[in-house]
Amino acid sequence: MRVRIIAELCQGHAMCSFACPEVFRLSDEDGHASVADEVVPSEHEFAVEQASRSCPEGAIVLD
Amino acid sequence: MSKRETLRQCPVDFNHTTPLYADNWEKVAREMREECPRAWSNNFEGFWLASTFEDISAIAKKPEYFTSYKSIDPVTGVAKGGTSIPPLPEFRAVPSESDTEEWSRVRTFLNNRFSPAAIEKLRGRTAELVAAMIDLVIESGQLEFVDDLTNPVPAMVSMELFGFPLDQWKRFADPFHKMLFTPQDAPEYSQTLADMQFFREEVDRGVADRRAHPRDDLLTHLMHGLDSGVFGQDLLHDIAFNLMAGGIDTTTALTSNVLLFLSRNHGHRDRLIADLSLLPKAREEFVRYFTPVHAVGRTVTEDCVVNGWEFKKDERVFLRYVSANRDPAVFDRPEEVVLDRFPNRHISFGAGMHRCLGSFFARMMFDEMMKGVLTRMPDYVIDEAGIVHYPSIQQVNGWVHLPASFTAGKRVGASIT
Repeated sequence: MRVRIIAELCQGHAMCSFACPEVFRLSDEDGHASVADEVVPSEHEFAVEQASRSCPEGAIVLD
Repeated sequence: MSKRETLRQCPVDFNHTTPLYADNWEKVAREMREECPRAWSNNFEGFWLASTFEDISAIAKKPEYFTSYKSIDPVTGVAKGGTSIPPLPEFRAVPSESDTEEWSRVRTFLNNRFSPAAIEKLRGRTAELVAAMIDLVIESGQLEFVDDLTNPVPAMVSMELFGFPLDQWKRFADPFHKMLFTPQDAPEYSQTLADMQFFREEVDRGVADRRAHPRDDLLTHLMHGLDSGVFGQDLLHDIAFNLMAGGIDTTTALTSNVLLFLSRNHGHRDRLIADLSLLPKAREEFVRYFTPVHAVGRTVTEDCVVNGWEFKKDERVFLRYVSANRDPAVFDRPEEVVLDRFPNRHISFGAGMHRCLGSFFARMMFDEMMKGVLTRMPDYVIDEAGIVHYPSIQQVNGWVHLPASFTAGKRVGASIT
């Protein structure tokens, strides 16, 4: 599984980081999310999938 | 008959400022979403009501067509536009009631003061203030949750963020609290506006003081913004007003609603007490379920169509977050509190670029207040005969009084100063 954040859509709701802090980091500047590595470790796949379904902006894309 | 006429015929005499709405908001939200999700109300010079998650989300993400901007006539003080319906006179909240370049400039300037990392630094002091407020009542076994905890804590933490001394916290907090539930035609309303003048003067005094004695606080940050030309004197008050109003009453309303809910639902309370690690998910669920800010307004900038819904320039639109958050198209069992609900796509903090700047601040304050109550007065019972709801829900759904009793405990010696 791969994960991306569409930066123009992310508004910093932080739901992804609540779901999986190991994968989603929040900016110290504005709280917007980013991922350090697009490849999702298998143990976090479920949480990342939940994160994508929790984003109010639909900013998380899974491949 | 065109679709538009059908919509306008939806006979909604919708008026969220009435006591009738305050008493029946859950039913109203459900019925409107089911029976007339795109409704027109003739009240307050007319406005659309959007009630489904899909419509609200789509409109909130198109600020170029649906502006939050508010103008205030400098002579008459009459307000047009903005995020409340009817518009709040005299005050403009910035960046909430702003768009485009101005919004971007101010929001960028403020963002890092409210980021997760910045807010985390305030947690220890917030916990101390919670402990101090509980110390004041813990030996008596009685308190009034709103006056003794949920109003003062967010007010004090917000004031410390600014850099205001706490000795006058009530004078700061009261007008922000009362402005939200006092109808504009009530006699007390003009007094509330007058009390706001005190806040403006304190901001001016504080900013002037920081010019000579800079500190690490918001007043100093605002002074730098003013002096480096990020914004002018006119916007200073609008920004300070937005930050204080945002911090004070929304978190108060959320926490008050949850305290009452847990007094009525012991199973949920016992589950939280047994496992406080549930609190983050439970908090998001409460934020969804109670939606402290029921709705926000927008103004149409030009004729447009969204999801097949036609809007004309200058029409007002009310985005009913409270209804979106219980939309069965998005949430299973939407009318129930499911403590560990996840995923949870609620839009209580808004959607699109106006996502609540203070969302991390609110979450942190809520968590610390709840931890304080659930650990030190876990058996509290709210006296149902003494509770008083906001007489009207202008925008925020909160409580005026929530008296309670509990098994008395010992002070921990926490200090406000």
